[in-house]
Amino acid sequence: MTAREKKFLCLSTVIAAVLCVPGAAFAMHIMEGYLPPAYCVAWGALCLPFLAAGVISIRRLTRERRKSLLLLAMAGAFVFVISSLKIPSVTGSCSHMTGTGLGAILFGVPATSVLGVIVLVFQALLLAHGGLTTLGANAFSMAIAGPLLTWALYRAGLRLRVPKLAVVFVSAMLGDLLTYCVTSLQLALAYPSPSGGVAASALEFLAVFAPTQLPLAVIEGIITMLVVMGLESVAKPELRELERARRRLTE
Amino acid sequence: MTALLTAIALLSLFAGRLAPIPLAASCLLPAALFLLPAGRHRHGGGPVMDACARRSRLSRENAGVKAAGSLLLLVLCICSGSPWPPLLLFCFLSGVTLLWGKTRPHDYLSLLTLPAVFLLLSALTLLWDFFPERPAGAALSVPFFGGWLAVLPASQELAGLVLARAVGAVGCLYFLSLSTPLPELLHAARRAHVPAVVTSLAVLIYRYLFLLLDAARTRRDAADSRLGYRGLRRSLRTTGLVYGNLLAHGFRRAGACYDAMESRCFTGEIAFLTRPKPVTARLLLLLLPAVAAMLAGVLLLR
Repeated sequence: MTAREKKFLCLSTVIAAVLCVPGAAFAMHIMEGYLPPAYCVAWGALCLPFLAAGVISIRRLTRERRKSLLLLAMAGAFVFVISSLKIPSVTGSCSHMTGTGLGAILFGVPATSVLGVIVLVFQALLLAHGGLTTLGANAFSMAIAGPLLTWALYRAGLRLRVPKLAVVFVSAMLGDLLTYCVTSLQLALAYPSPSGGVAASALEFLAVFAPTQLPLAVIEGIITMLVVMGLESVAKPELRELERARRRLTE
Repeated sequence: MTALLTAIALLSLFAGRLAPIPLAASCLLPAALFLLPAGRHRHGGGPVMDACARRSRLSRENAGVKAAGSLLLLVLCICSGSPWPPLLLFCFLSGVTLLWGKTRPHDYLSLLTLPAVFLLLSALTLLWDFFPERPAGAALSVPFFGGWLAVLPASQELAGLVLARAVGAVGCLYFLSLSTPLPELLHAARRAHVPAVVTSLAVLIYRYLFLLLDAARTRRDAADSRLGYRGLRRSLRTTGLVYGNLLAHGFRRAGACYDAMESRCFTGEIAFLTRPKPVTARLLLLLLPAVAAMLAGVLLLR
């Protein structure tokens, strides 16, 4: 193959990858029935401690301050709404945010994990995104792993006195990328490649979903940053109230 | 795009197993089905499935029995070692949803395109593998960057089973979600001793999400009419501002709601009234044979 032919082949592969982006590229949910039973149980079991901690802290908070129940419900509805609305996308596909990175920054990890699971059940039953048997795996990648990284990076960035908006952008983007990597790993663990094992299969899944998920992560970072910016200008009192609730939840 | 993906995935799945004419028919007919709702599926217009569930004739049946039956069928579906029981279950439950529930076929097909994209993309990764040398006995193979991308018969079997399980499970999920309004399922969850704080949160989230969707639609239309979505840069900025404004509006609304609840002696417990729906013999006659047949299928066809 000549150098010109190689360039042509590479270019056509890139064009094919970009143009063959599916019409509906929502946040990476594993579909209903896709995982074998053992993996459904294992991922569900892995989520249980996080959920138990979340439920206990929310119960304590709502006993102390009844209004928090309504604020948290509104937060959950907000995460559902932003994950169901279309956002602008460079690939021309119909993309959606995960919303859990923003949730972790605003409400903390315990609340986001519980709200995330409720939102995932709603997404399965109202939007046909994800499923009930794959709830554990989806909850681990979207409501636990992603928000945990976003939260850790956000707190670390603030402690190191990095500008807040830059921290919000980077933490939301990397949290989204981790969600995508964890989902690919979950799929690869369930279905390893016969020739290269789990690693080769993970690479295949990462490559297939990369054309939609990589731009989506950057866009999620930008929008999260703009939402935080907008909130700081129009909802200072509500943000202070949220901060107080979040501190009580993480105590 | 879904139609194209369907044709490629089915070609990879059945290549080497069917004669050319049946192979072409099995690729093109399902692909053509996805062309029917093309251009008519919309996002952001509110949950379509909720409206379908409220319209369904099956919504008159007991939610707890439907949920328990569907979950049992779901579990049996993913435990199946043969592709046939899940595929037959999908046909049976789709028939029930369309004929008994009277869900519109166009809505049903349109909703099927959502999981189809994920399933087909994932099936392609299960079917095609990269090999340094051309493998012997490959059903399909193409040269790729110095090696070969090939479909092996073992991969076809695995992908066929995974696809069949997923299709059956989607049938179960749609049977439940297109026949049962969400508040009834949450009531069933409360009766199944799910923590009260979780069910209360879920009920409130369900009520608020329609308020927020409506508010988001109004804000998006207002921004759109002011050319707020022209160009990627401006679109992103507008989306961020709309979302920030939406959350602030939501919290103010929740505050007002709390004041109203406090003035009506809110004690922290939210009581919701539900209409009792007795368990009917026809629902049991529908679900019990399906569960028994699936159980037999899972145990016998290993």
